[in-house]
Amino acid sequence: MKKPLQYKINIFLFLLPALALFVTVLIAPIIMSFYYSLTEWNGFTTPEFIGFKNYVELFTSKSINISRALKNAFLLALLSCIIQLPFALWLALRLARPIKGRTALLSIYFMPVLISTVVIGQLWLKIYNPDYGVLNVLLRSIGLEKWTHIWLGDKKYALGAAFVPILWQYVGYHMLLMYAGIKGVPPELTEAAMIDGCTPSQVNRYIIIPYIRPILRVCVIFAITGSLKSFDLIYVLTNGGPSHATEVPSTLMISMLFLRNRYGMGSTIAVMLIVLCFFFALLINAVFKEEK
Amino acid sequence: MKKLGESKGKRVFVYVILILWALISIFPVYWMLTFSLKTNAEIFGENVAGLPREWVWSNYTRALNTGDMPRYFLNSLIVAVSTIVITLVAAVMATYAITRLRWKGRKRMNSFFMLGLTIPIHASIVPLYTTLAKIKLLDTLWALIIPYSAFSLAMGILVCTGFMGDIPYDLDEAAMLDGCSTWGIFFRVIAPLMKPAVATVGIYTFLQCWNELMFANVFINSDKWRTLPVGVQSLSGQYTTDWGPIGAALSIATIPTLIFYIFMSKKIQDSFVAGAVKG
Amino acid sequence: MKKILALALALVMVLGMAACGQSAAPAAAPAAEPAAAEPAAEPAAEETVLTLWSIATESDSSHQAFIDAIAAFEAAHPGVKIEHVTTENEAYKTKIKAAMSSGEGLPDIFFTWGMGFLGEFVNAGRVYCVDKEYEAYKSELPEAMTVNVRYDNKMYGVPYTMSLITLYANMDMLAEVGYTDIPATYEDMMACCDALVAAGKIPFGVAGKEKWCLSEYLEPLVIKSVGGQKLRDMYNGEASWNDPDVVAAIDAFQSMINKGYFDPSANALSNDEVKNNFIAGKTAFYQNGSWNNKDIGEQAQFAVKAGTFPVLNDAIPLYSMIGGPNNTLAVTESCKNKELATEAAFELAKFMSDADYKSGANLPCWAADPNADVNELIQAAADMASKAADMVLFGDNFLTADAANTYLDYIEMAWSGDVTPTEYVEGLDADLG
Repeated sequence: MKKPLQYKINIFLFLLPALALFVTVLIAPIIMSFYYSLTEWNGFTTPEFIGFKNYVELFTSKSINISRALKNAFLLALLSCIIQLPFALWLALRLARPIKGRTALLSIYFMPVLISTVVIGQLWLKIYNPDYGVLNVLLRSIGLEKWTHIWLGDKKYALGAAFVPILWQYVGYHMLLMYAGIKGVPPELTEAAMIDGCTPSQVNRYIIIPYIRPILRVCVIFAITGSLKSFDLIYVLTNGGPSHATEVPSTLMISMLFLRNRYGMGSTIAVMLIVLCFFFALLINAVFKEEK
Repeated sequence: MKKLGESKGKRVFVYVILILWALISIFPVYWMLTFSLKTNAEIFGENVAGLPREWVWSNYTRALNTGDMPRYFLNSLIVAVSTIVITLVAAVMATYAITRLRWKGRKRMNSFFMLGLTIPIHASIVPLYTTLAKIKLLDTLWALIIPYSAFSLAMGILVCTGFMGDIPYDLDEAAMLDGCSTWGIFFRVIAPLMKPAVATVGIYTFLQCWNELMFANVFINSDKWRTLPVGVQSLSGQYTTDWGPIGAALSIATIPTLIFYIFMSKKIQDSFVAGAVKG
Repeated sequence: MKKILALALALVMVLGMAACGQSAAPAAAPAAEPAAAEPAAEPAAEETVLTLWSIATESDSSHQAFIDAIAAFEAAHPGVKIEHVTTENEAYKTKIKAAMSSGEGLPDIFFTWGMGFLGEFVNAGRVYCVDKEYEAYKSELPEAMTVNVRYDNKMYGVPYTMSLITLYANMDMLAEVGYTDIPATYEDMMACCDALVAAGKIPFGVAGKEKWCLSEYLEPLVIKSVGGQKLRDMYNGEASWNDPDVVAAIDAFQSMINKGYFDPSANALSNDEVKNNFIAGKTAFYQNGSWNNKDIGEQAQFAVKAGTFPVLNDAIPLYSMIGGPNNTLAVTESCKNKELATEAAFELAKFMSDADYKSGANLPCWAADPNADVNELIQAAADMASKAADMVLFGDNFLTADAANTYLDYIEMAWSGDVTPTEYVEGLDADLG
């Protein structure tokens, strides 16, 4: 069927604002980043074209140690998927059923999401403070002196300590999205299932969860790409330390760009992250389609 | 409503977990508010987590005097509101073209926009800086609004697609038979039905730009255009060991949002829910 | 005491010449009159605005000095306004680099550190050469003080203060374990630390979170083991790090760590917290730059002494110091009023040098008022500067950004015990080369 010209112009006009923003702010810098990733450039002088040398160095250099940063990011993504999302789903399912104090609980759970990352970071820095922080003070007061640690300063605990606030902050966000989805399930469906003798957990499993699949997909994409790109809280809490134990790709990228003046290598990490996130977004989409 | 197959013990257990998580969620905020009113002696020693014994309001005057907090707050608000409006308009329009208009390549266009979800915001800082400088927007609030809108767009489109995809296509066809043009359908049929998406996209966008630190620090020079995260960060750098004023600064940055949220939370949740019902 | 400063400057000058090799100044154009020559008679003229970026936020000890310096310059130059944008230290680095990289939106005058940091901007052609304007200030700003802002013997910045790594000691706490002075030999120092540890006290406070703070402890050990010239050669890539004296210094550092001389909470602390711990009497020593003189001098409630760490190797002079002129103002090539901006840079630097010295914040690069009434700690720092047998800039300032961070990574690995002294020197040779 041949579309009239007017129709095509309309399509273009509808896309125009989004495309203009998208291309100038996101796509153009990516293309530039890709070009920079093929150069040796300190950010100031003329970039020198070196082909894929940065990529080779990125994946082979022991001092950059990209595999550690990737491992940390994947671990965070995994924890998001096996702890944060299921817990958020559990909360959402619970709160969707008649329960006293629902409004208050919903509001409280969502509250950490509203607080600025800088504030959260500063707060948790204080919570983890080895001498005066609430965590160690609490442990000492209940006689668990030997469980106290220099949380963010100890190679063994820093990664876990840095992940806790990240996971904590966004439980409420995922919960609210899922809760909204569950509230959208037509009551006839659940009531019919109940009449058929389904238990609440069976209703959850066979009616509600399949119904809110699109929202779950959004949550999973958001959790995984968010983990791979995670930066702000780690930057405030540990900035990748101690001894690079909490390094993630974004902190490595920032240190390449702004500490080491290795603009080419920083761009290489950026390109790698983009490819990785895109791959996962496609993968998640495929998985959710498959199940349908 | 009937409660089937749930023993009393289990219900108590569920409540315990729900309340425990509520405490964990709220504790840092509670702690922040209390230590913002304490002296170091109380924070570091005898009274770590209790209510302040002596209410040190001077912490707040000290925090307020080390920068222009109200102004930073206003700037953040202007940036957030403008970003939300721009994101919404652009996202709803683009989603309409992608989901409801028939043309070759719309699937690909959607994937193209989804690329935005995958781009780490910090990677583009130098190319963006150059562009913003060239179009003379550096050191204005536009230097934040435009990038924030662009980075929120992908999520906006994703959410809108969910909402719009579930509006029955019969509506378009009926409208078309009534003689509505493409624009007519968009404005009279689709756009009004997208109201619920506003809350979801709005909240997401708000969070994205309310918290952002790196761009806000690099693209803004003048004190009069600084945003809240930059203000808070520099404030906490100034009182490193004097926790009271830091707590006060953190509270000043947080309290207005919390108040707004307390009044609006029902509404915010309702629109989330309403949105999902349509979805 | 009063003459010490002049002496110090003279000495640094000699060192500088030795390091620099050449000191012949270009026979330059007639010197521009520093101030007052401007057409102050026409106030109706349009206002010229110069922008200045610095790290002097409200908590910085130079904050007030900057405000005063700007006010003085503006008063002397009607029609000129200086817009001062301050950014916190770490954020500033990102900001100035983004601006330098794109070459857009740059300020007219900017704060910078000498050597490596400024060097990359100079190589990119973003910084204005101030040789011509310097002629007028030669008598006040000794040429030796400009070594760290010279590239191909051309001067690209105006230094205002210099810093030395200083060992601050809580004399009250040392007295408790029977010491009336900072131990003068390495063995004595170790014995003192042992005594402190035995008495349940923490000898050294350090911020393990901030790598440069670790270097404030390691670099003095290294220079006091290998000597200044050799260390300089190592930074310049002209000598191997694989030297028994470097190995000995790392070994000493690690044995101090293993003996528990450092604050066990170090890894969770920022430098400000560590400094405040020292001021609060929590640690016996704090070794950091002389820019801490003011805070420590004004806030500590106990007897404080500023000194230097004893030598590890008797062949090395005690006053082999880490430090040098480093706080600098520079003018960008993109500036529209280069001459005015350069004049402002010189005038501000001159004012700041004096103000920071008098307030006890740091050592001046410019000829200082010999009658100034300054606090004891800054006197001690000036004294050390005058006695300095050699002075090598902080490693992370000396090296270019990439190398500096690799170097700091190795220091952190030495600190956390991830490398042995031998691995440390071999690693530096391999990765800095």
